[in-house]
Formats: sequence, C-alpha cells, structure tokens
Amino acid sequence: MTRIAIEDLAFRYPGAPSDTLSSLQLEICSGEAHALLGASGAGKTTLLNLLSGLLRPSSGRILFDGKDVSNLAPKLRNIAQVFQFPVLYDAMNVANNLAFPLRNFGFAPSDIESRVARIADELDLRSALDRKVSGLSLFEKQLVSVGKALIRPNVDVVLLDEPLTAVEPHRKWQLRQSLKRVQVDLGVTMIYVTHDQTEALTFADRVSVLTVDGILQTATPEAIYAEPSFEAVGSFVGSPGMDFVNVAGLSRVPSNLDASQKLGLRPEWVELCVPGDGMTAGVCDDIVVLGTAFGERVGIATVTTPAGTINVRTSGDVALGTQLGIRFKRAAVYRDTALVGSHEF
Amino acid sequence: MLELRGVRLKEDAAAFDHVFNAGEICVVLGANLAGKTDLCRLVAGLPTQASLATAVLDGVDLVSQPTRVRSVALVTQAFVNYPNWTVAQNIGSPIHARTSSRTIRARRSAKTATAERVDELAQALGLSDLLARYPHELSGGEQQRVALARALAKDARVLLLDEPLVNLDYKLREALQGEFKTLLHDRGTIVVYTTSEPHEAFALGDQALLLRDGELLQADAPLEVYCRPNSLDAMDLMSQPRTNRVAIANGTAAVRPEHISLQAIDDAITYQLHVIATETNGSESFVHGSCDGADWVVRQSGITVLQTGETVPVYVRREDLLEFSA
Repeated sequence: MTRIAIEDLAFRYPGAPSDTLSSLQLEICSGEAHALLGASGAGKTTLLNLLSGLLRPSSGRILFDGKDVSNLAPKLRNIAQVFQFPVLYDAMNVANNLAFPLRNFGFAPSDIESRVARIADELDLRSALDRKVSGLSLFEKQLVSVGKALIRPNVDVVLLDEPLTAVEPHRKWQLRQSLKRVQVDLGVTMIYVTHDQTEALTFADRVSVLTVDGILQTATPEAIYAEPSFEAVGSFVGSPGMDFVNVAGLSRVPSNLDASQKLGLRPEWVELCVPGDGMTAGVCDDIVVLGTAFGERVGIATVTTPAGTINVRTSGDVALGTQLGIRFKRAAVYRDTALVGSHEF
Repeated sequence: MLELRGVRLKEDAAAFDHVFNAGEICVVLGANLAGKTDLCRLVAGLPTQASLATAVLDGVDLVSQPTRVRSVALVTQAFVNYPNWTVAQNIGSPIHARTSSRTIRARRSAKTATAERVDELAQALGLSDLLARYPHELSGGEQQRVALARALAKDARVLLLDEPLVNLDYKLREALQGEFKTLLHDRGTIVVYTTSEPHEAFALGDQALLLRDGELLQADAPLEVYCRPNSLDAMDLMSQPRTNRVAIANGTAAVRPEHISLQAIDDAITYQLHVIATETNGSESFVHGSCDGADWVVRQSGITVLQTGETVPVYVRREDLLEFSA
C-alpha cells in the first residue's frame, strides 16, 4: 500500500558508453497494478533491479511514500519479488514455504499461522498446504511463489518479473486472475514487467511502455491500444502492430486533416470494399488465416496502397493479387510521429 | 521428398509414417515433451531416445549416412553460433566445411563465392551491417538470424527449425515469422518447423503435423486440421485458448472459443454461461466462465466486458459443435 515515485532516474553500467536509463519519470499509485511493457534491451530488468536495490541509480531518486530509498540495500527496502520461474524449497510443503519469509523476519508463530491461512484462502491453496512443492504443477508452484511474495503483511511493493513464462499456456489466465484478485483484496502495489502485451494489457490498471528512448506512454490499457501517444507505441502494441499511412497518399484528404499528417490504423478499424469506394486502394500481397468465425474464413490481409501498407482484418474469401478498396472506420492521427487526435469516418 | 517410416518417438508410443514434401513448410505442432525435438534429432542423426525404421531422402537412404554428411541443417531454440567468430565467419562456416579445395586457384575462387553467398544471406536476413560483429555483441533476435543464415548457407535439402522463436520477444517473433515465410518458401527445401503455437501453423505451414505424447494425431493442411480435427486432442492443439467441452451421450463435443456468439444467431444451440472473468487485450476480449460445470472461454473481437457472477446466454451454430466418440 505504497505510492512509488521515480524522479529523473538515470543508470549507466560501469564502462558502458551511454545510459541504459535516463531522465525517467514515473508515478505509481498506492494499490495500483502497473505493467512495464517493453522489448528486450529497453531496460526493464535494469529498472526492476533499481527498484529492488540490486543496482544503485547513477542519478535521480526512487521514493516509497515520499521516502528516498535509492541507496538502501535490498533487505532494507520493503519489497517482495516473483521471478520467471518458481523459487521455492522443493523439500518443504506449501505451508512451510509460505511461512518461510515470516520466520526469517521473526514473526510470532500464532501470527504466522493466521497469515498463512489468510493468503492460502486468497489463492485457493488451502487444500495444498500439506503437499510437498516438488509434486505440484508449474501453475501451482508459481501460485505458491505469489503467495510467498505476499505473505508479509507490510510489503510496500511486489515486483513481478515475467511471472507467467513457465506456466502452462491454458492456465496463464487463471494465475493472472488470482494475481489480480489478491492485488485488489490486499490493496498491494504491484509492478509487473513483461514483453508480452497481452499480459500487460490484461493485467494492469495502467501500462508504461518502455523503449530505449525512455517511457513513451503511461496510460490505461484501452488508451495504449486505441490512442498510442507515439507511432513507436502503436507499432509495438497490437498483433500485427498499428499501420501508419500518409494522408497525402490517400485518394482524397478527409475534412479536418491535412496532407502532412499520418493516420494510425488497426486491422479491425478498416475493411475491404470495391476499388474507388474507400479512402485508398491497393493489391493484397498476403493473407494470414486466423481460423473461421460463423462459417466464414477469418484472416489478416496485407494490402499495399499508395499511402502505405495496411493490414485489414477480413472475413470471407479474399483474392490475392487483385485491386481492392479499403474503407476506414476510425483512425488515430499523427504529426511528426506524435499523436494529435483521432478521427471517425 | 523425405519419407520416414516406423517413427517411434517414445518407447510406449505407436509408430507412425510421414512424408515431407520438397518446397513445403511442415509445421510440427505439439505441447512440451510431445516429441518435437526428438523428431528433429532423429532426422539430423543426433542421439535421441526416438527411433525409426527407414528414412529416405530423395530416394537415398538417410539412416546409413553419418550425421555430418547428411544434407540436413538444424536451428534450435538456443542461439547457437561460434562465439569467437564474426557474423560473416559464422554464416560462411558451412560453405568452408564443404569446399576444402586443394589448389590455390580453386581456394581463391571458393573464397569469392563464399563471400558472395554470405552477403546475399546477410542481406536477406537484415544482417549486412553486422557482418564484422561477434555474437556476444548482438541481441537475441540478431543471434537467431545469424544461426538461421548459417543453416541456410549449408544449402541442405532438409531444414529443421526447432522452436526457433520461442526464446525471443513477441514483436521480434512476429517480424522473424514474416521473414521466414518469404525466405523458406521459394527454395524447394524440405522445411520442418516445430512449435506449440497454433497461429504459427497458420502463418507458416503448408502442412501441419500434430503430435501428442509422441504419437501422430493428424497431418493435413492447417485449415483442414482446424475445420475437421480427427480427435478432441487435435482440436485442442489447434486452438488458442483451449476448446470448450460439452457433455453428450457416448462421448464429448467441443466448440472453439471464437465460435461462440454472445448475440443471438439463427438455428443455434443456446447455452448458459456463468461469467468468472473478462480479459481484453485491445483488439479482442476473452470471457472466462463455466457452462454445465465445464470451464469455458469465449473469444470476441473488440472490447466486451461482462460482469463477474452474471449468467448470460451464448449461442453456438450446430456445425461448429464437433462431436467425438469417447
């Protein structure tokens, strides 16, 4: 239940020619589920290590509820961390694994018992308390790791480093839901680091997109997807990413827009039509089938137009190599790579 | 053409036969430990618990050939490159190994040919600016591209790609997938590509070969396997997220998450879905819930938010409900 503030934070590895992180600003509210989304090499792990105290900033400060913790050793910061792979004592049962941090911190046995029971209830681990960790599935093990991170009642922030990597694919959402539920119930501040946009967008209250140029945008998942503040955010988020077309290359310039602008398009914001009927036209070079929906073949068609390449979500058969029109339903508007508004057609 | 007969990936698994066609990408789809890596190692001639009766490549017996002379190249999920060689040397290494010429003149012309081929591959894979670098100076995606370029330089008849993208960032995966498709298709090579992700079968595969616990479930065009799975396991493997179960007399029926509608549709079966949670990633929403005691997930395009705890009617077209005998 702590507010985290990152002020002008910079970090350079010893001997490196440039900063890995520079002039980073971020505020995370108390009790917020925050995701840091970025490609590898963007500095996610470095930022996590600065938060946990494994690294010290070159300049700038990290504040927990207004208190400067930038130069405190990890054990003096009130944090807990969940790693990519479960870090547990295989030979102990679930109850003892959960109790371990409390024993280390010298909690009274009766307090330990009630806290373990509380967390086990939150995570549906009650029936597993007596089981050895070595016999659990990856999903259950990671659930215990989450429990272990949340076991101390006064933790300021829980750091999660790609916690779903090792979990069986069809159970990922369940762990995500358990995490969310416990995060809300206990009101704990969580920072979730991932390169996977689905995880970031489905888990977080707010998402920060981290690139080599710093944090480009901090916003709700809906805004990150529909109104990316920079072209780089738009192309990073979404699968495929947002396409950008030059207004100047369109068959006609829509009212309120000018030829120096670009339009950001999502595959579901555009549709195929007869040539001459849409905003632009082009030839479909490729189509990736996604499956079927209600009897129609569904896919993503890649169309090369004079304004740029556009990926269109399609339903029904699409002929490769033929001239197709593209109708726009909505678009985000950009000038010089920055968002300036949105447009409904 | 690569014909495998009597492939036994696990001791207690049934043996199967399969023919891989030239110029086709066959995507081998299976969960962890389904035997995907064993299949690759078997073809490459590397030690494995798996075995086969015969392997014939373009009419020539492969089994009797030692590993190093087989016309097979393998790219694994770990980025394997020579750490002490530059990118150019790494890519050129299989060509050097092939052309150990005796005369100076032959060596010189071989050298020029190698350099040309390295340049060509580097260009195709976007590595031209990195030729003088060492692997440790590259990102994961770049290292994997070098490994792929080296495999292509071998000009092998069979190219085995064993989950080549699994250790990469999701955006890089998307970019490399696109590159693979163009690079691998027009070479007449037999490409075997393993993965656990059904969308890769759609994106890359001419054929999909589905494995479960070392056994062959089904092999056909990806859309065919998707539309007409021969078993519940095959349907599940080609589904992301997993399919939804419906109990029927003498067996089980299942419906894909994207084939359930929240809006009424004609001639549909109606089910009651008890909503547990909704997740959305911007372009799609996933409604998790339970239906007659089974865990269900409904995949909707766009943003749909349903309240946890509510029960809503959902609709399934009869032809989308696939029945399997027990």
